[in-house]
Amino acid sequence: MMKRSLILQREPINESALLAGRTLSRGMGAVIYFLGVVREQEGNATITAIDYEAFERMAVHQFEKIFEVMEKRWPIESIRLVHRTGVVAVNEPSLWVEVIAAHRGEAFQACEFLIDEMKKVVPIWKRPLS
Amino acid sequence: MNVRVQFHSYFKELAGCAEATEPLREGASLGELLHQLRVRFPGIKPMERSTLVAVGVEYEPPDYRLREGDEVSLFPPVQGG
Repeated sequence: MMKRSLILQREPINESALLAGRTLSRGMGAVIYFLGVVREQEGNATITAIDYEAFERMAVHQFEKIFEVMEKRWPIESIRLVHRTGVVAVNEPSLWVEVIAAHRGEAFQACEFLIDEMKKVVPIWKRPLS
Repeated sequence: MNVRVQFHSYFKELAGCAEATEPLREGASLGELLHQLRVRFPGIKPMERSTLVAVGVEYEPPDYRLREGDEVSLFPPVQGG
């Protein structure tokens, strides 16, 4: 059974606390981290932050559906995901993902799949602030 | 019957409100609701091809049969990450 943790939060992402909370069994050989960080350039505009809006009930449901597909497709031990809502300043992470598996191939594939699918179906939107 | 409609992201500005209640004939489809909404809220009509539609927390196709009390959400393409 794949362990899952999903958090949508307004507070900044506390990377050190998340790292301290990492658990993995002795058979695991790959831990993948991905951070999505707010860029200063949004199209042609220079921005200071992005205001993230989520339809939270549906976002949670759609993330859970993605996790279910991941669990069937790859032998993953654990997935943890944190996504910010509200205002996130340039240079700050808006997304934090951890995928733990026995081997790097499946961990990388699963992580990329998760982010690609999120960008198709999870109802979160950006409003650039300048 | 009545269904509750919610607009998300900049669709709120295009519609001029965040939510509305729309009267519909019994057994109407999601497609019929969308047609009515584009008449009532013409600001969302230009986004016709890029509107995502959900009933509750699931995406549903235009032939989905609505029921009394359904909660329908309209929004633009998602942009998480």
